Amino acid sequence: MSELEDFFGRSEHAGVGDRIYVLDQSRCIGCNACVQACSECETHGGRSMMHLETVDRATSTQTAPMVCMHCDDPTCAEVCPADAIKKTEDGVVQSAEKSRCIGCSNCVIACPFGVPEYVPEFDMMMKCNMCYDRTSVGSEPMCTSVCPSQALWFGTPEEFYATRQGSLSNEFQFGNRTVTTRVHTVVHEPGPLDAFLGRSSQPSVVSDPFGIDEIGLPEVAR
Amino acid sequence: MARAPLTEAELIERYGPHLNRTPPGGWENETEVDSVVNTHCCFCGQQCGIKLKVADNAVVGFEPWYDFPFNEGKLCPKGVKRYLQGSHPDRLTTSLQRTAGGFEPIGYDAAIDRTVAEMRRIQDTYGKDAFSVVSGSSLTTEKTYLMGKFARLGLGTANVDYNGRLCMVSAAAANKKALGMDRASNSWSDIPLADVVFVAGANIAECAPITTDYIWRARDRGASLIMADPRVTPLARTADCFLGLRPGTDSALMGAILNQLVERDLLDHDFIEHHTVGFDEAVAAVADLSLSAAQEITGVPASRIEQAAELWGRAATGVLLHARGIEHHSNGVQNVLSCINLGLATGRYGKPGCGVMTITGQANGQGGREQGQKSDQLPGARDIGNPDHRAVVAEHWGVTPEDLPQAGLSYEEQFQAILDGDIRGMLMICTNPMVALPDTNMVRAALEKLEFFAVIDFFLSETGHHADLVFAGSLHEEDEGVVTTAEGRCVKINPAVTPPGEARRDWEIILDLARGLGTQRYFPYKGPRDIFEEIRRVTSGAVADYAGMTWERLEAEHGLFWPCPTVDHPGTPRLYEGPRFAHPDGKARFLPVRHQPPAEQVDAEYPLWLTTGRVISQFLSGTQTRRIGPLVDQYPEPLVELHPRLAERFGIADGDLVRVASRRGELTAPAQVVETIRPDTVFVPYHWANGKQANLLTNPVLDPVSKIPAYKVCAVRLEPAGEHRPVVDDRGTIITTGEEERA
Amino acid sequence: MGPAQLDRRALTLGLIGAVLVVFASAAGSGWFRWFDTALAGYLFGVVFFVFGTVYRYTVWLRRPPTAKLHARGWQALWRTGQRGRNSRSLLELIVRNLLLQDFIWKRSKSRWVAHQSLFWGCVLAVAVTFPLTLGWIHFTSVGQRAQTYEATVTTIPVIEFDVGGVIAWFFFHALDISAVLVLIGVFIFLFRRLKEPGTAATTRANDHLALAGLFAVSITGLMLTVSHTFLDGEFYSFINVLHALTVLVGLAYIPFGKLFHIFQRPANLGVRFYRAEAAAGAGQVCSQCGEAYASQLQVSDLKDILPDLGFDYDSDGDGNWQDVCPACRRRLIARSQSLRVGGFG
Repeated sequence: MSELEDFFGRSEHAGVGDRIYVLDQSRCIGCNACVQACSECETHGGRSMMHLETVDRATSTQTAPMVCMHCDDPTCAEVCPADAIKKTEDGVVQSAEKSRCIGCSNCVIACPFGVPEYVPEFDMMMKCNMCYDRTSVGSEPMCTSVCPSQALWFGTPEEFYATRQGSLSNEFQFGNRTVTTRVHTVVHEPGPLDAFLGRSSQPSVVSDPFGIDEIGLPEVAR
Repeated sequence: MARAPLTEAELIERYGPHLNRTPPGGWENETEVDSVVNTHCCFCGQQCGIKLKVADNAVVGFEPWYDFPFNEGKLCPKGVKRYLQGSHPDRLTTSLQRTAGGFEPIGYDAAIDRTVAEMRRIQDTYGKDAFSVVSGSSLTTEKTYLMGKFARLGLGTANVDYNGRLCMVSAAAANKKALGMDRASNSWSDIPLADVVFVAGANIAECAPITTDYIWRARDRGASLIMADPRVTPLARTADCFLGLRPGTDSALMGAILNQLVERDLLDHDFIEHHTVGFDEAVAAVADLSLSAAQEITGVPASRIEQAAELWGRAATGVLLHARGIEHHSNGVQNVLSCINLGLATGRYGKPGCGVMTITGQANGQGGREQGQKSDQLPGARDIGNPDHRAVVAEHWGVTPEDLPQAGLSYEEQFQAILDGDIRGMLMICTNPMVALPDTNMVRAALEKLEFFAVIDFFLSETGHHADLVFAGSLHEEDEGVVTTAEGRCVKINPAVTPPGEARRDWEIILDLARGLGTQRYFPYKGPRDIFEEIRRVTSGAVADYAGMTWERLEAEHGLFWPCPTVDHPGTPRLYEGPRFAHPDGKARFLPVRHQPPAEQVDAEYPLWLTTGRVISQFLSGTQTRRIGPLVDQYPEPLVELHPRLAERFGIADGDLVRVASRRGELTAPAQVVETIRPDTVFVPYHWANGKQANLLTNPVLDPVSKIPAYKVCAVRLEPAGEHRPVVDDRGTIITTGEEERA
Repeated sequence: MGPAQLDRRALTLGLIGAVLVVFASAAGSGWFRWFDTALAGYLFGVVFFVFGTVYRYTVWLRRPPTAKLHARGWQALWRTGQRGRNSRSLLELIVRNLLLQDFIWKRSKSRWVAHQSLFWGCVLAVAVTFPLTLGWIHFTSVGQRAQTYEATVTTIPVIEFDVGGVIAWFFFHALDISAVLVLIGVFIFLFRRLKEPGTAATTRANDHLALAGLFAVSITGLMLTVSHTFLDGEFYSFINVLHALTVLVGLAYIPFGKLFHIFQRPANLGVRFYRAEAAAGAGQVCSQCGEAYASQLQVSDLKDILPDLGFDYDSDGDGNWQDVCPACRRRLIARSQSLRVGGFG
């Protein structure tokens, strides 16, 4: 933090520090607590910045939560024609500056994680800023606070490795592009996460939940 | 004649459900928050700690309560948005009486006088027991104690029961039979210490969401997860062993696993020998459940049953969690006993990381039944039929044991008694049978037959539509008291705001009724604190012993686990340590469980199984959650879940309307075609009213011991009912799915 | 913005701009005949301000996304067959969007009041001071008793007015009015930042600097009036220097600070026409779910720009990640991650 910012900013500015946000989508139960809690934030009251989709409800109860990953080199900021997206020194990519954003949606389309949203009512982009009002003063984001499965987790890497399985990764491969982020995800074997991997039809653990292949269909459904 | 005075549409127009989406004053309201109250969620049995933000005597938002140990700030979406039930346009602020043209406000005193007069008339004409009391499990323990005592001494009726009867009573009965005590065997802090977690009939992700993290904490230590459910629920998706059983076959599955444990010698012989009785009989009862027989009955591949037995039997420690999925059956108690047998066979009691626990569904299901609003229990989880227990309570209450009524009718039985003419008048608080009881058409007929029906509630529920008189009662955040959670942890609910208008705290209404009846001498309370102090005295020495708890201790120590006999006693998070069970000989009972098929079987006419349950965004009968906009948006109306193979057979596409019919009624709702449900089963969530009740279909058959209805299984048929065209009103509420108007 | 090296082209354009201002001032003031030498410092400020703004604007316009949008915006606006309609809607947009700023009204009422107050205060101040500074307007007394003044724009006398009249009062107090408007805006903004934790957290030093600057200029300006009206000119020359300093620093800061958005905001109008044009064309269909998620025009524009920025989202066999819609990106990432932790699905 510059002295100037200390002078003009909040005196109790603790910063996000070495705490990280960990997004472990595999644990998500799709409950929407994060979405509902996010909409309680005073800076965007009634509107959630949290994304949550079912992956393919017809075949699975799997759900896909997504927050801003806070890229080291944010695509959203680079494609912004109005210099409206800034990153703080603690690595948090802020939502569009209200005075600058011209509502072009470049960031919405270009973000590799599909995070920013264009809000027609306000004619501007809005996105997750890791609850900077909370995290910059030592508290936790709303979504990680409430998340019942702790698919959304917040703390130091040491705390993570002391209590959770898996390796942290903050490298994502999108075709030829590698993106590194402040937010981490969880993988069993270390290494970047290939975003196209999900296209494979690799079988999952519960691929035939009712053993139809093994014992056949119940008579009524034959 | 308590027929609803207006059409359903007119009642909804006036009394809701309307949707509240914004905090009082809107999002841009700049009123300063004047206090933040540490309290608990008003919904399920987890009773998560939450901080409510209060401004100008209104709850305006929430903040996570990180320091409360059970949930450490975590909340489900209902907890997050629960504050929107306050300052709600549908909130009743005056008492109402039914007239030919609808409901009209009535002064509070006049409402008391009229109710007292009707109570007297009915009891004088038809006998004491002809006026009944039905209460709820979302009330504080102080209020549930008061409801039981008011019914038995204030009114002198035997007929008092509560809606926990629709929830945990199978587990309560089974625990008492096998282990000697009705409480979850452990606090949740034992779950992360388990090496195997077996979840039977519990959609943890949606019905007890915070428990998800406890299970992941165990798995982070390497534990495996077994889940038995007819649906691949969100947590089941990740299970190491998924047992997708046919509804109503739980005890066959558990029996087969017990058989496998014996066959593979995965038993704790020492534990069985020294701390239990009846093992041989229990094993003999499942002898015919071979793997192939079990596969035939349950529809679960034999290989998975073997895998489950291996995982459960080989682990050093393990917990089994069960809920309504196995309990809501005509053999619900037997199902729970079959789970307890697995726990006993492997010595999983009284040790860290071990236990067999029911996940209580309602806020105070536990405290509600153990402190005296259950038809067959007196405070302290005492038996109303036990002369010693009666004598103790009678002495505390300043009456003779003969003055205490004997056991009365259970919730569902009371409705049969109305139809039989044995019950003529009813006082109901905090429950909504028009949504919650099985066979809605029968419930409606019963309510319409009552001569006088008084309801205490904060919103006019679908059941309230049939009331002669409605008292405006209090919301959770408008009163204080103690609640006992699923863990057996007693916690303190703190008041955040005062009741609006002419609304009263529920206990004030009951005290005024007692005054009117001339029985006020039994109720010398200035408020809930006095009631709690009486509970401490009365429960001293009982099973559910609260004597050592004070409101101050509960707050300072983040709750206490009963039994807690003295003020210096730390409480008892883990039962049966030693191990020593609560039967006089200290031993647990293996009880033989012979699998019984569901009371209603599928046949040519009704070829499919129906099972019902909850969704995460709604709670029970939805009286509160169907009024909270953001929760309604999340899952606006019931969907009929069915497998694509079944959908194909019946010519139904995803999103089409489908008519589900049982021998009792029918329901039309959009289909959700998914591979995550058994191909012979359909699922409908039950929270909705006005023709969308899943309980139009369900079977009112009861478990003979626990008197719980068999919500989780009945026979239905399906037919396509055309394309789905939701009609959305100007408030954004989906008002119809295209079904015919019900008469 | 990394000012590591100066942009030559922007430098040139900036200098040309500065020269043009000096020339305009000279031409408008009868070759400095009516130029008020007391305002020489301010003239320097204006010249630097114009230089800085042109420089910064040029640099900004050369960023690939800005250049693309700039080109597309004008193309869309002047599209043959649309010119008449577009000109009319441009006029409406200027009024609603740039002058009345209804988009702020939708975001927050108090914010809108504050911003309008600041905006009109600044517009008024610029409208009064810039012509005076450049020497385009000067006042001369008419007759002997100096009871009547005449305002002259360059060489053309425009209006005569009485010293004690309303017009005179307005001329003499226009800057006080603008200062009060600006101060109202500043205080509402400050109040919001201090009171609302959400706003407070996302407030940058830049935001405070802009408010501090506006506050300093306005308050020193008002103090001049106070000194002149109530204190018989006590401290006048000191305050005058102080005021001049704040104005100079403020003018120099505008192109490089938060207030540069004044010049960026009109790009929003370009976006409107670009968006309308894009919407009229074909939609870009997601390679995963087959649903349209944006206009083909904008997606292909972005795919043009991204490699220039060093972002290559193309792949060897899976296509371009930019062809996947945002929702499917999130779904695919979740599925990929689940496969990497053991495959639950």
